Amino acid sequence: MAEISIKALRRLEFGKGASRRIRRDGQVPAVIYGHGSQPVHISLPAKEVLAAIKTSNVLLDIDIEGSVELTLPKSIVRNPLKGHLEHIDLLLVRRDERVTVSVPVHAEGTFDRDGILEHVQNTIEVECLAISIPQFLELDLTGLMAGESKTAADVKLPQGTTLVSDPTSIVVHLSVRATIEEPVAVAPAEGEAAPTTGEAAPAEGDSEKK
Amino acid sequence: MLIPRRVKHRKQHHPKRSGKAKGGTTPSFGDFGIQALEGGYVTNRQIEAARIAMTRYIKRGGKVWINIYPDRPLTKKPAETRMGSGKGSPEWWIANIKPGRVMFEISGVSEEVATAAMTRAIHKLPVKCRVIRREEA
Repeated sequence: MAEISIKALRRLEFGKGASRRIRRDGQVPAVIYGHGSQPVHISLPAKEVLAAIKTSNVLLDIDIEGSVELTLPKSIVRNPLKGHLEHIDLLLVRRDERVTVSVPVHAEGTFDRDGILEHVQNTIEVECLAISIPQFLELDLTGLMAGESKTAADVKLPQGTTLVSDPTSIVVHLSVRATIEEPVAVAPAEGEAAPTTGEAAPAEGDSEKK
Repeated sequence: MLIPRRVKHRKQHHPKRSGKAKGGTTPSFGDFGIQALEGGYVTNRQIEAARIAMTRYIKRGGKVWINIYPDRPLTKKPAETRMGSGKGSPEWWIANIKPGRVMFEISGVSEEVATAAMTRAIHKLPVKCRVIRREEA
């Protein structure tokens, strides 16, 4: 697991006006909390953070005016349209601490091409040491037939990592591709729509006209 | 076509158009999604037209999810009617869409097919949209 060092500035003014000023200056408002300590409000350089969080569950060494804190991103708020960062919650962690994190699951292997692969869960929760969080977990789909699924228990976990999610919860499902009935079912739906439009409009109009 | 089976109030006020989507801004089920770039009212007919456009294009491959539901009625007074004498009759069922909302999702097809299918669906919708893909963590 990679560790990235980022220099932070302590925030002294709060609220939406101050936060907007910080964002305009190319910074991201953030907060550090955990281990029962008082929360620390900081601002981080947006470009560096954006590059760092491309790796899932990346460990960030936050340098706040000399004192370095090891943190894990807990909540990242993005603008849904522009994609830029609006706020980050960072959780304090210790190197020897076991943490519960959501890790992405990557499907591998050849499966029945007649089925449609559905990722019911893109991530699963695991517990591991803070310094050895896996970047992703592998799920072998070799021999999976259409209509079958793989559960969280089937995911290969590295040594020292334990599963927190329900082992019976479905991670990947290979659904059966629609048969020829699907287009037949769709065609009348469109045909039905036209007559109902014609019927509904005059009926309502007649009843309302006075 | 999507229509609620039962509603608490048959005639409602127009939903608010302001604001951004609070949730449902990233694809949750499929690999690709249609994201609204502006707010607006999407009717059940437009949702159905978009769904048909996509399913017809992808033929037997892939799976389509509809993340929005037209649960708000809009009323209309008949033409050439004097004002007053009560609210008009329910005419449309609409989903109130806010900017950022992912309305449709698709999976099980290549990026080219998904983009082409979703472009066809976007043409049926009354709001500006774009095709987005699920971020690989």
